[in-house]
Amino acid sequence: MTEQVAVDNLIIWEFDFAMTTFYEVDTDLITPLLPKQISPMEIVPGVSLLNITAFNFPEGGLGYLPNFQELIASIVVTPDLSRGVPKFAMYIFSLGSTCQEHLDHSTDYYKLPSYKKLEYGKINRADNAIEFGDTDGPILTMNNCSTNIGDFLGHERYFQAFVLQDDNLFIADLYLKAALFEHQDQGDAGIINNHPFLKGLELFDEERVPYLQMLLEPGTRGKQFYYKPEKYG
Amino acid sequence: MSEQKSKEKKPSYTEFTLDMFSRSSGKNHAEIKQFNQWREDVISADKYTFETPHLTPQTPEIVVRRIHGDEHRLFNFSSYNYLGYANHPEVINAAKDALDKFGLGATGSPLLNGTFDIHKQLEHALTEFFGQEGYGISLFSSGYGANIGVVSSYIHKGDYVVLDHSSHASLIDGAVMSQGTLKLFRHNDAEFLERILKRIAKDNRRILVCVEGVYSTDGDYGNLKDIVTVTKKYGASILVDEAHSLLVAGASGQGAVEKFDVLGDVDLLIGTFSKSFGGVGGCLYAKQELINYMNYYARSRMFSCALDPAVTGGILKALELATGPDGYAKRKRIVENADHLRSLLINKVDIGTSQSWVIPIIFGDERKSIPLADYLMRKGYDFSIMMFPAVKKNKSIIRAFVTSEHTKEQLEGCAEALIDASKEYDFAL
Ligand SMILES: Cc1ncc(COP(=O)(O)O)c(C=O)c1O
Repeated sequence: MTEQVAVDNLIIWEFDFAMTTFYEVDTDLITPLLPKQISPMEIVPGVSLLNITAFNFPEGGLGYLPNFQELIASIVVTPDLSRGVPKFAMYIFSLGSTCQEHLDHSTDYYKLPSYKKLEYGKINRADNAIEFGDTDGPILTMNNCSTNIGDFLGHERYFQAFVLQDDNLFIADLYLKAALFEHQDQGDAGIINNHPFLKGLELFDEERVPYLQMLLEPGTRGKQFYYKPEKYG
Repeated sequence: MSEQKSKEKKPSYTEFTLDMFSRSSGKNHAEIKQFNQWREDVISADKYTFETPHLTPQTPEIVVRRIHGDEHRLFNFSSYNYLGYANHPEVINAAKDALDKFGLGATGSPLLNGTFDIHKQLEHALTEFFGQEGYGISLFSSGYGANIGVVSSYIHKGDYVVLDHSSHASLIDGAVMSQGTLKLFRHNDAEFLERILKRIAKDNRRILVCVEGVYSTDGDYGNLKDIVTVTKKYGASILVDEAHSLLVAGASGQGAVEKFDVLGDVDLLIGTFSKSFGGVGGCLYAKQELINYMNYYARSRMFSCALDPAVTGGILKALELATGPDGYAKRKRIVENADHLRSLLINKVDIGTSQSWVIPIIFGDERKSIPLADYLMRKGYDFSIMMFPAVKKNKSIIRAFVTSEHTKEQLEGCAEALIDASKEYDFAL
């Protein structure tokens, strides 16, 4: 992966599919997943945001790795504004990938909580729909629930990613340069199963309703500038 | 962007929405520094339109002074002085009389020594106005105070507050103070509400469903009929906040509850005096025994000074006018004005689901908000600009409040300015 490293502590990931959905969930449900030092960023007290993101990294998008799919589960948390003002800060609690080498690298370099190798990550680009699963069964389906796709805006977006490894909390800066359509239309966005990928999180029906979705413009590529995490606090 | 330099690049003030500065991890309160930096950036760019002092009353034409000292004469579409009572001569005179009679402030909590005769007159007049036997009024010094006090003394730890997704902050804050569990249902979606009620009703705890008569960002009516039906089916109570509809909606001005004929089913009705009454303050209308209880246990009432007596005198006069021919004429005019403005805007810009005197014009991308607010002010118009999270992502709005006092020419000028802006800022349909 070394050819992707632009500076010492940065890897640039190129992707050709990205879809992310934020779901409204009970804060009580997600609190057990969070380390003590960080708090959920609730949309109203008692209601937090669970985020599920899927990427497709094409062959060559990340060094010598083949084409593969990635699935990330995180919780929106209070950012650290002393580093800059992000669009969102996430605490990542589960990472799945169809590529074992990518998972190993993510654990090692990014301290990410690699879940395990996923059996499949099906991406339907025409409909903006995905399906992920592993040997424990299907994890989720997710689809765009906006009936009128609007503008794909290409401005840079800054995020923060918190991760926990061996009881140590880390933070990483992450910039996304991609043409994204963001919407908050509330329709049917697919099914999330109570699967071990979600680390025991069990959602009620009405919590599978999306709060916000973002989609990459079809036929384009986006770049993620993902810095190496630093120990936090 | 050079690929290596990503981290050093400082984004422009247009990249931020206010939620982004609301909180920060860590001990150093970085949110205060970052917020002030953003505010300074907007001011130095001479785009700052917030906190602009008014040099005139809230009439359809106003003069404001911006932060760098420049004065602007504007057409006012950002005040909720819906019926023009904030500056009505009879209302002003009534307030002056009350001022002379009772002095500037109430200087006491309503329960102990802050209640004046004029408060009792207002309670009585409002109770008569709604006209149900066995009901009464509890007065609060703001609408915000009414909501937080009422919700937090009606609901307690272990109970539920179920709110429409577009609920006002005061209802949310009341729910938080109550320490009950807060649930949100999709805006105006009675089926979604039912799914929640069905699940939580099993806990056999109190449930309070909170909705609004007219929503202050979408400008649509609360889906009161269906929501009341579902609420009653599960044995829950219902609160209707008529902040933007009292005196305006319904033939006699009782609000959306009158329009949808559900007044008798509503457990708690909240009114504010800061909108159509043109004053400040709030009230709860409910069964008298509940009113008696709230007068003692709503903490925002008990531990806060009573409503200002002069303002109370003005509110009483506004109520008198609103229930007479003046009110009927003004209600007719505000509806005609809103319909007229909508008819000028429809198919030219996106006005969402507006059905009332609150008209949102959706311009989408929140990054346009600050420049657009400045542009409109320089064109001679005062609107409120609202962005995420007050409204949905990429559904930022210019909010126009129509009043009964706007003239046809002012409404036409307003539509023209908005349509020009839609071309300039790329949100024309
Ligand atoms: C729906 C709603 N409820 C309550 C309030 C608070 O009222 P007040 O401004 O009188 O405190 C407002 C104010 O804008 C409102 O829009």
